[in-house]
Amino acid sequence: MFITDILIDAFFAAVAGIGFGAISDPPLKAFPYIALLAAAGHACRFCLMSYGIDIATASMFGGLIIGFGSLWLGKRVHCPMTVLYIPALLPMIPGKFAYRIVFSLIMFLQNMDNPTERTRYFEMFFSNSIVTLTVIFLLAASATLPIFIFQKRAFSLTRHNNKQLSA
Amino acid sequence: MRRDESLQSIAKFIAEYAAHMMGCGVHTSRVVRSAKRIGDAYETDVNISVFQRNIILTLKENNSDKIHSEVVDIPALPISFEHNAELSALSWNIYDNNLSLADAWKLYNKIVNAPSIDSLFVLILVGFANASFCKLFGGDWFSMTIVFSATITGMFLKQQMQRKHFNHYIIFIVCAFIASLCASTAYLFDTTSEIALATSVLYLVPGVPLINGVIDIVEGYTLTGFARLVNALMLVLCIAIGLSLTLVLVKDNLIIN
Repeated sequence: MFITDILIDAFFAAVAGIGFGAISDPPLKAFPYIALLAAAGHACRFCLMSYGIDIATASMFGGLIIGFGSLWLGKRVHCPMTVLYIPALLPMIPGKFAYRIVFSLIMFLQNMDNPTERTRYFEMFFSNSIVTLTVIFLLAASATLPIFIFQKRAFSLTRHNNKQLSA
Repeated sequence: MRRDESLQSIAKFIAEYAAHMMGCGVHTSRVVRSAKRIGDAYETDVNISVFQRNIILTLKENNSDKIHSEVVDIPALPISFEHNAELSALSWNIYDNNLSLADAWKLYNKIVNAPSIDSLFVLILVGFANASFCKLFGGDWFSMTIVFSATITGMFLKQQMQRKHFNHYIIFIVCAFIASLCASTAYLFDTTSEIALATSVLYLVPGVPLINGVIDIVEGYTLTGFARLVNALMLVLCIAIGLSLTLVLVKDNLIIN
């Protein structure tokens, strides 16, 4: 059953990656690779989280997979890494936590007269903010890491004639 | 390699190229690198300062002391990865194939004026994407259909308002409000309504500037990185305002977990 869960997770992450990517007008040839990367990254996070690893660390590993994957696949479609990995990262943005930030802010303001409730929503606001910001930062930073390690390759992904380079 | 193009005309091309790239959501280091690469191809040395709204660049001829400076405004363009990929490839093309400036302009205009993806197609894809997002957060099939229809409504509204050139803060507030209001119908039924409400506005999240901002900061372009993050956070704030209007309307039904 666990494998089915992973596959379902990967499938929906792929659909989400394609859809959110489509808003930003990616090249059509990049769509299959965006889907693949989104699925791999999200499934990786899903696996790690079901083994009890926290969402920030799991997102970091997901981001690393997407980053290295985009370096590897970018050469095939002559796309810069960011064109592949930004849409692939979008399904990993922790929307539920972001929603709870807004929710707890409203409830905090609505419960100003009630100290217990107020403190509870105050705590909820900060814990959700911390998770959201950390996850987004780690996602982007870890996916960018391969650029620093393999600079030469990362900078010439869109170059078409590498023959001239070797000649 | 250098042809008889004047320093001024080269500067004009590079300025236009760099401004378009910054405008359509390319992270700063790539813009600077690509611009320098084009400058290299024309045997000039390019130095660039990038700000949020303007680019200042100075070209210096390699074997003389001629210098030309150019300041250009960054246009507010919709984000386009297609332009990102194609324009990056164009810089290598110029560098590798010794293109003349006239050819470079021709290719540039062809890329910039190419039609983008059909908006109806985008609308449907975004609907499915947000519905799958709902599933990823643990929503059931019924919530997914609600989120799908809410997203289609909101996204359609966004496209129409963008076509009429409304202020984008207004667009985000209105679209977040309408989409979450549609999704709040989930409270009428026995379903995962909190997740439906939470995911209904997520298609608006400006993920590209958020991630670009972090990339810029990590790569040392702190100024543009922060500017992008602040812009993105303003939009997130607008989404929060739209969503809170709905939350205040339906707050008696909210389930606290």
